[in-house]
Amino acid sequence: MSLIEVAGLRKVFRTRRGPVEAVAGIDFRVEAGEFVGYAGPNGAGKSTTVKMMSGILLPSGGRVEVCGMVPYRERKRLARRMGVVFGQRTQLWWDLPLEESFELVGHLYRIPRADRAARLRRLEEVLALGPLLGVPVRSLSLGQRMRAELAAAVLPAPEVLFLDEPTIGLDVEAKAAVRDFLRELNRSEGTTVILTTHDLDDITRLCSRLLIIDHGRRIYDGTVEALRTAYGTIRVLVVDLADDEPAEVAGAVLTRAEGRRRWFQFARDEVSAAELIARLLAGHEVADLTLEEPDIEDIVRRIYRGETPP
Amino acid sequence: MVAEHPGVYLRLAAASVRATARRPAHLTARTLAAALIVAIEVAGVMLMLDQFGSIGGWQPAEVVVLFGLGFAGQGLALVFGDTLEASKVSELVRRGTFDQVLTRPASPLGWVVASYVDTRFVGRHLAGLATVVWAADRAGVAWTPRRAGLAALAVASAATIIFGVLMAAAGFTFVTVQGSEAVNVLIYGGQYVASYPMQIYGSALRFLFTWLVPLGLAIYVPALGVLGRPGPPGLPARLAWLTAPVALAFVAVGGLAWRAGIRHYVGTGS
Repeated sequence: MSLIEVAGLRKVFRTRRGPVEAVAGIDFRVEAGEFVGYAGPNGAGKSTTVKMMSGILLPSGGRVEVCGMVPYRERKRLARRMGVVFGQRTQLWWDLPLEESFELVGHLYRIPRADRAARLRRLEEVLALGPLLGVPVRSLSLGQRMRAELAAAVLPAPEVLFLDEPTIGLDVEAKAAVRDFLRELNRSEGTTVILTTHDLDDITRLCSRLLIIDHGRRIYDGTVEALRTAYGTIRVLVVDLADDEPAEVAGAVLTRAEGRRRWFQFARDEVSAAELIARLLAGHEVADLTLEEPDIEDIVRRIYRGETPP
Repeated sequence: MVAEHPGVYLRLAAASVRATARRPAHLTARTLAAALIVAIEVAGVMLMLDQFGSIGGWQPAEVVVLFGLGFAGQGLALVFGDTLEASKVSELVRRGTFDQVLTRPASPLGWVVASYVDTRFVGRHLAGLATVVWAADRAGVAWTPRRAGLAALAVASAATIIFGVLMAAAGFTFVTVQGSEAVNVLIYGGQYVASYPMQIYGSALRFLFTWLVPLGLAIYVPALGVLGRPGPPGLPARLAWLTAPVALAFVAVGGLAWRAGIRHYVGTGS
């Protein structure tokens, strides 16, 4: 059995303007040890799904099981085996020194004292928390706090970790620290991670699998690579010509011109970049050129817009 | 709903007390303010009653014993239950804090109550007790273990009932999300009604606060015994034994309302 099983899952909210179907029948399975990116535009139903998986919200229909439990029915028992980090909110004790939060989490999740000490020592080292232990949580910077949140969430060694925008608002360095930690956690402990994010960089760097939902439905489920191959056949060759003469190349379409710079769009499966460059150099004098790969951000935007793979 | 592991909730409560204690000046000021309200209220009542001489055959000092018992009970209830007030619960919901509470391996009620213990109301509780002692002395009460026990019963029962009202109101807030002031009418109105000899009220008001929101029963009836009064017809001092079971029944109803509120919340995620 899979660690997470979601089948025909639905959630309808009753609002003043009538019923709204936030989740409209979603199916997926997540195996133990997967690192899944969960993306979709605002209001797509991402957080509603996560809430149903973590037992905060009762489904209107369909089935959800996490670690073999029905979340809303066995909320407390599941809570012992799952970790949750919501980037915008804190799970720590705001007014108390950080170490007291770890202490409380230890008691709350009944982690044996010796295990807790050993695990905490390792987390402190990996996340560089040592100097922060005596600092009240309210005085931590956002980056420091996020490292502390992660430590508190994984201290009980959860089997599954739900993350909601864990890198939001962080600077480059802090983002890297959070990502390194998550990658290592998933690799060394086999923790299953469900990462909800708008930051596609998080996803391409961390996730083996990407789930995209919109209007409460699953619109993509596969690897990031497969997404690139399916949608990413269009590449762009950017050329700086040596002179101002008009230029054209067989097999590519001129999409933009600015001064001496030209943008040629071409399909990867029709002509290779090498072939195209050879054709171009045969007829024109070129000062410089670069090749642009479609970035994942573009692809996902196209998916949100409802484009199908070419 | 009740703690499977009470130690955790004690630790949470201790943590919330430690958090408040990190700002001792702030805590002291708030505690004094919570106590001062009792003193002001009592002074006002004394001034007013002195104009009448007595009310329903009760001396001003005897009436103030009722006030003291009520405030001692209210203070005790608010130490644990202030966070269940409608405005605070709707704040927990709106900020998403309550969702996080639900991801914890703990009872939501235990978690919320223990995490937001409000020590300043200890000031109100103690001021209430001091008022009882002071007023009983002026009323010429000769304390016996039985009378002290009745006073303790009144305080504990009043606290239990007020906590029950707060729980029920919190459950209701999960449905409406908006904080409602209606609960204050029951708590503060009920306590106020119970702070005067019950025989001065019409039968409807008396019934409401004796049996439905039984603050009258909880405060007034044991107080009859403390003051050595027989009580009016229909509400004799010997009904005091009923106070504890009625208070417990009331808090149980409050607990059911809280649970219904949580069930609604998990169903709609309002």
